[in-house]
Amino acid sequence: MAAEIITVSTDTKFVHLAWQREEKDLANVKYPMGSDPTGNLARMFGVYDEATGLALRGTFIISPESKLLNAEVNYYNMGRNIDELMRKFKANLYLAKKTDEGCPSKWKEEGDKTLKPSAKLVGRVHEALK
Amino acid sequence: MAEVCECLACHIGVTIPDFKLETYEPAKGDFGEISLEALKKNKKWTILFFYPADFTFV
Repeated sequence: MAAEIITVSTDTKFVHLAWQREEKDLANVKYPMGSDPTGNLARMFGVYDEATGLALRGTFIISPESKLLNAEVNYYNMGRNIDELMRKFKANLYLAKKTDEGCPSKWKEEGDKTLKPSAKLVGRVHEALK
Repeated sequence: MAEVCECLACHIGVTIPDFKLETYEPAKGDFGEISLEALKKNKKWTILFFYPADFTFV
């Protein structure tokens, strides 16, 4: 894949190892599990909770040019939707090639309708997406 | 109440400064290190996926 997925928590790499070895749901994990014991990276992204010393459920997509393109943060008690994450990632890949287009909310994959901002489109988004 | 600082999450479009993390890499069964600089060199996209703690649901 064109992306490196890195999971990050304030646990040490030793605990990551123990958890991955113990938890059957993680048996097929291939991605690197990052360790941020100081919380510095979580602070940088605004997801470090000083009250608990834990990171909130933040997801960030960064381009190969180090540009932050998407951010989503959930509170402790809500999991993330991977389909939506993949939709955003695919849209980023598409938009990196087609820099004059925009992916509307219903865009799911290449071939779906996109928008090209122009004078003609003003007030005609409904018709353009029909 | 969760106490978090105002940081990059509010600044979509900014360039992220380089960072390094120690890692456990299940694919190799070994420890490693990862940096944004190295990913940039390999023209990789990066998806950071923060979660509260190991041994809880993610």
